[in-house]
Amino acid sequence: MEIKDRILVVEDDKRIGNFFRTVLEANHYDVIMAQTGAEAYSLITSQCPDVVLLDLGLPDMDGMKILKSVREWSAMPVIVVSARTHERDKVEALDLGADDYITKPFGTSELLARIRTAIRHTRTACFNQNGAASGLFVSGDLTIDYDKHRVYKEGKDVGLTQNEYKIVSLLGKYAGKVMTYDYIIKEIWGPNMKSDNRILRVNMANIRRKIEKNPAEPQYIFTEVGVGYRIVEPD
Amino acid sequence: MPSKKWNIIINIAITFGILGFVTLFCFLLQPFSDSDTHVPLLFVLAVFFVSRLTEGYVYGILASMIAVAGVNYVFTYPYFEINFAITGYPLTFVAMLAVACSVSAMTTRIKKQEQIRLEAEKEKMRGNLLRAVSHDIRTPLTSIICAASAIIDTHDSLTEEKRMDFVKDIRSEAQWLIRIVENLLSVTRMGGENARIDKREELIEEIIGSAVLKFKKRFPDVEVSVDLPQELFLVPMDGILIEQVLVNLLENSVLHGKVTTKINIAVVEQEDRVQVFVEDDGLGIRENILPKIFGGNLQPREGEESDSKRSMGIGLSVCMSIVRAHKGNMKAENRKEGGARMMFWLPKK
Repeated sequence: MEIKDRILVVEDDKRIGNFFRTVLEANHYDVIMAQTGAEAYSLITSQCPDVVLLDLGLPDMDGMKILKSVREWSAMPVIVVSARTHERDKVEALDLGADDYITKPFGTSELLARIRTAIRHTRTACFNQNGAASGLFVSGDLTIDYDKHRVYKEGKDVGLTQNEYKIVSLLGKYAGKVMTYDYIIKEIWGPNMKSDNRILRVNMANIRRKIEKNPAEPQYIFTEVGVGYRIVEPD
Repeated sequence: MPSKKWNIIINIAITFGILGFVTLFCFLLQPFSDSDTHVPLLFVLAVFFVSRLTEGYVYGILASMIAVAGVNYVFTYPYFEINFAITGYPLTFVAMLAVACSVSAMTTRIKKQEQIRLEAEKEKMRGNLLRAVSHDIRTPLTSIICAASAIIDTHDSLTEEKRMDFVKDIRSEAQWLIRIVENLLSVTRMGGENARIDKREELIEEIIGSAVLKFKKRFPDVEVSVDLPQELFLVPMDGILIEQVLVNLLENSVLHGKVTTKINIAVVEQEDRVQVFVEDDGLGIRENILPKIFGGNLQPREGEESDSKRSMGIGLSVCMSIVRAHKGNMKAENRKEGGARMMFWLPKK
């Protein structure tokens, strides 16, 4: 018998819950459901799911609270599902340690891709515990060489500056996942840098001009408006 | 509250400014005239203006008291002495007080009426929006219900293909509904009351990129190209709202251009503003609706096939309010080569 990844779906709306169950089971996941925060919390602690899909609007408590308490003892991937379109909620969830978010309404393929990414991240994190990226990141014509600190496009060095390389490699390390502006700024410029997006924007614009064909139609680094940046998954 | 304190200071400054000016004027007039009869009249005028230009009753009454005392002290014989025995003195005092009170009352009422008028206008706008929304929501909901009941009720006799058609209809109608809801969210995001928005410096290329990506998810077959100047633009804006504007314009190009296959987005920098053009090769906009296209008037237009009951009204009027809230503006026109061209600009500062 094959061992399936177990997904806990925390969702108070029965119909959407059914949708999750049907889609996920059809894609060979083991699905458990919770409709309230309390139920979710007990299932997380007793069943140790591989991924949690967490709806933020629950009848008995704010989803953020569950996220916070899970993060106190576990790094299990949590994908926040939110109907709130306000980007502040997304940023808050990501900063609280959510691995990713997905906004309702979403397509099936998008949902499955996010789940795959989240699972893959925990796996690679186990292999690579010191967090130092090593080796190559390859996606299409783009290659990040972590050992040589170089980024190549179609085999040619694109000539990134120190900070530009740091940004790209940081995104590459968490490929497929949104990194918030604040997180990137703190990682690159240190905690004393005030959260001024301008410097990050300018760097990003320069990076795009070096690696994208048309900066307004990016193929590699995408903007989540008001939240942060995300690089494509490696091939 | 600092603004309240500031208000009081401004009002006091107005009061004493006007009184001071009139006093000075009277002093200047004194050498040229024998009688003092003009002095009380001028002070009545001063009291009138103080009451008109300040808020509430207090300053007008204060001004009239100062005026009565001042006129008595400075400009009536004996000069620079208070003399309550002058004939008609109580009358002057009462007259000035009456002027102050009635003008203040009038001013306050005018201001209140202005407020009421503004409220009413806002209410009317809200009403229009609600009507528009209910109309735009009912149509897709009806077809969702019809398609779903068709599948449930005639399940056995439907061919697989037909069933799939219905399901696709349901999906596309639901997408339409989401579009409406997203626009409504944009409206609430602008806060209604004083339409203040949260501006941050954004790269226009990122906003365009993100909007195009969203659009492509829904319309993968339409070709979108972007012309961008080489230099960087950081434009202060609410990125989410401007993204919404772009998504609306792109979707309109397809939904209302009907035969659109290609959309071009161009960004042009001018001295103090950034212009964004969205051009398509669709059917264009009919001349008769061009002037009122941003009005948000969603009554189904006569003589059109039923499908275009979904007017572009709500999307475009939301676009317009977003751009206006950024202190920019929008324009719509038809291209000579065919197709429509929508333009909006945002100030750089």
